[in-house]
Amino acid sequence: MNHSSADDDALVKAARRGDLAAFEELVFRHRDLIYARALSLIRHEQDAVDLSQEAWVKGWQRLAQFQGESRFATWMTRIVINLCLDHLRRQKRHRTDSIEELEEAGGVEWHLPVVNVNPTAGLERAEMRRHIDAALGQLTPEHRAVLVLHEFEDMEYKAVAAAVGCSVGTVMSRLYYARRKMAALLASAREES
Amino acid sequence: MNPEEQLKVQALLDGELSEREARETLSWTQRDSAAAALLAELKNTRQALAQSGPRGNLPESREFFWSKIECEIRRLEPRTAPVPKDTLAAVLRRWLLPAAAGGLAIAGVVAYFHGRPAPVEGMADAGAPVVETVLADADATIYRDAREGTTLVWFSPVTGGNPARNPKPNAVH
Repeated sequence: MNHSSADDDALVKAARRGDLAAFEELVFRHRDLIYARALSLIRHEQDAVDLSQEAWVKGWQRLAQFQGESRFATWMTRIVINLCLDHLRRQKRHRTDSIEELEEAGGVEWHLPVVNVNPTAGLERAEMRRHIDAALGQLTPEHRAVLVLHEFEDMEYKAVAAAVGCSVGTVMSRLYYARRKMAALLASAREES
Repeated sequence: MNPEEQLKVQALLDGELSEREARETLSWTQRDSAAAALLAELKNTRQALAQSGPRGNLPESREFFWSKIECEIRRLEPRTAPVPKDTLAAVLRRWLLPAAAGGLAIAGVVAYFHGRPAPVEGMADAGAPVVETVLADADATIYRDAREGTTLVWFSPVTGGNPARNPKPNAVH
């Protein structure tokens, strides 16, 4: 079997039979995507590398459970997201929740002025990406997780709530705050540049 | 706008409202300038995120990254490997050998008891002491008591005499 020319399905089948080289090819193809998802949630390079590595090991162990109902890359993405959410939960136990409580109970987001212009209009894609990346980094892990799952994974409110472990109302509130904060941060970055 | 209305605008954008609610909310955003402005802002942000989702290149070479994964997989492999089905040899080892050993042990016990000297005639109790004269030439007499676990051997002078009258125990087992 020529691994580099085989499609993902064929590689998955071969990997299930114990073909480690086939699995290596899958890792090679999707490692950047899995890492990027981890990085978008965790915002820490080394932790993102470690978590994506852990996700690949789990992927190998659970290959028998992959029934092909989604793309292999999507299935792997869900594994890394779950690991990242567990990581964030562990971190949350060690830090104060005061900022989060202030944001959600104090209702800052309800009074943010509306941004009237498209904050990314006229920007080069690379610059826009840089601004978005920086803005994502300024959100709390909880707000960022909800935003990433909803916007990049196309998950509905209910699915996000189940993944994050909170109510649908909290998801709506966090998503709203995250979007409004992003709009304000992007508008501010655009003005500065 | 109150918080509930703001979240309704967002839910409209995300397609999370029922058909009737969506129609009503859309109609309201068309009449209310603040609601319309909020909807436009949320749309812009969503569009910006969709156009430039998070990207990142793994800051490690393919070989190095894979070597760590492979190492971990191999380390965990014995624990996650499926348990092989029993082979005939394994069944023999597991069941037949202990059964054979048990059988031999039982046979040994039976042979031991069958091989014991018969009790002296007239003694009803099999465990009662037995007195034998086994070495007539040496004039030796053995006294064996299974209950007490005692064996006494008398050697008497060849010249005669009744050993019972003047017994000299020479060995005790």
